[in-house]
Amino acid sequence: MKRPRFTSILLLGPAAALFALLTIYPLGRGLILSFFMTEYGFEGAKFIGGENYQYLLSDSFFLQATWNTISFTLMATISEVALGLMLALMVSRRFPGRWLVIPMLIAPFVLSTMVVTAIWRAWFHYDFGFLNNLLRAVSLSPVEWLFDPNLAMISLVLVDLWQTAPLTFLILLAGLQSIQPETYEAARMDGASPSQVLITITLPLLVPHMLLAALLRSIDSFKIFDKVYALTGGGPGMATETLSMYVYKLGFRFFDVGLASTAAVVMIVVAGLLAAIYAVNILKGQSRVA
Amino acid sequence: MWHKIFHPLLVYIVTGVILLPLIWMVGTSVKPPIEYVSPTINLLPDTPTLVHYRQLIEDDILGKVLNSLAVAFGSTFLALLAGFPAAYALVRLRLPKRLDKIFLLFVLVIKLSPPIVLAIPLYQVLRTLGLLDTLMGLILVYQVYALPFAIWMMIGFVRDVSVSYEEAALMDGAGLFARLVTVVLPIMTPGLIATSVFLLILSWNEFVYALLFIQTPSTFTLPTYIATLITEDETFWGRLSAIGFISSLPILALVGMVQKGLTRGFAGGLK
Repeated sequence: MKRPRFTSILLLGPAAALFALLTIYPLGRGLILSFFMTEYGFEGAKFIGGENYQYLLSDSFFLQATWNTISFTLMATISEVALGLMLALMVSRRFPGRWLVIPMLIAPFVLSTMVVTAIWRAWFHYDFGFLNNLLRAVSLSPVEWLFDPNLAMISLVLVDLWQTAPLTFLILLAGLQSIQPETYEAARMDGASPSQVLITITLPLLVPHMLLAALLRSIDSFKIFDKVYALTGGGPGMATETLSMYVYKLGFRFFDVGLASTAAVVMIVVAGLLAAIYAVNILKGQSRVA
Repeated sequence: MWHKIFHPLLVYIVTGVILLPLIWMVGTSVKPPIEYVSPTINLLPDTPTLVHYRQLIEDDILGKVLNSLAVAFGSTFLALLAGFPAAYALVRLRLPKRLDKIFLLFVLVIKLSPPIVLAIPLYQVLRTLGLLDTLMGLILVYQVYALPFAIWMMIGFVRDVSVSYEEAALMDGAGLFARLVTVVLPIMTPGLIATSVFLLILSWNEFVYALLFIQTPSTFTLPTYIATLITEDETFWGRLSAIGFISSLPILALVGMVQKGLTRGFAGGLK
């Protein structure tokens, strides 16, 4: 069905206008601002070339935030894919009540992150939190979940794991269900044990799904903001300061819009590289399977 | 033996452990403060009370619920309104080949962009439009994520509508608008509902932009209201649990409706 140009403008116009206003303009504006020094807010912008970039790369806070973000992303992604895989393997076989168990396992993922952090902040409370009460109940000593610099990041990962493992679970469950039953039958005829089947057949076939789950989770973990904001505020000290938190503080607390925009540009570039690495691997995996 | 008893048992135990925080939340929402500010591991109250729910009503919780509802439905409606014609055009019209690729690249860029990264220029946009600190402004900025997601999901549903129906209507002399409304939309209804559910959840739960662009407490949505309670470093756990329970119920109900499209919807849009 061929249509005049006018129709396509009419149909695509509203969406294109919103894209331009809300994404293209802000991205461009951010890129431009990253080359400016700003006094307070948007006022008195002065072009300074790449100086903001130079400053950032030598700023120990920025480097610390970058490192924290990378280590959070790695820990969260790996633990989430692992837990999702275990849950998917556990649920892939039939059992009574399966129709109810699957939506229950998904529940944490659909909750508002603020509801999730409200629960976990209470659970992490030193004196009356559920986790420390549990530790005391089995005669262990309680811990400072959010205020011990060595533990705070792990606690954040734990919350993220609880909330988002359902996503990796869903993706991997879909992957498991797409494997043809005949694939298993041949192996069973050859007398392979269940664990042999798992290692030599199931897991290799799941690799593309695992990569997809890892891609989605690392993109989102890289952006983490709300949990840090509501659980630790980046503390104790700099222990859980992530890049999003760093940009937020620069832009919305210290009103250093130029430098905040620079950090924002760096974030998008790093996220893009991250995605490219996965994309290459996923494409490679697909061509191998095909 | 393993299949019949141990496997289901293991599944139930693991599911129970994962649901513990939710059970705690529901339990705490009806516990008197003296019971949860204590070193016990009881999940359920000894003497249930509705005091926290009553307190929420006094705190104008209804206002925040209405704000959240307005933002969720408003941004969903806007995303469908702008997204459906775009999805239709991308599928049906013979557009230059590159446009498809540009759109995909775009979705990727948006998926990669942390909300906070766009926030500074968006703040300027809203200020210029005079929409800072308004629900209208939130509805608009939520399109950053809602619109590409809506288009991405609806492209699949438009593809499923057979062209032959439209051709039949074309023979009867129906114009483009008539075909969209009387042929394409009715066939796509299930897909539209699924898309709407994900858009509703997305906006209902959104936090970053609500935090940055809304200052007046009476305009707060539920997540920002919860955040103020959390960071006030006191143990308002009963009230927090009650509000958490209230704001989670509609979401859990909606998810029950769209179990089929869960993976696609989640992978593309949420968080």
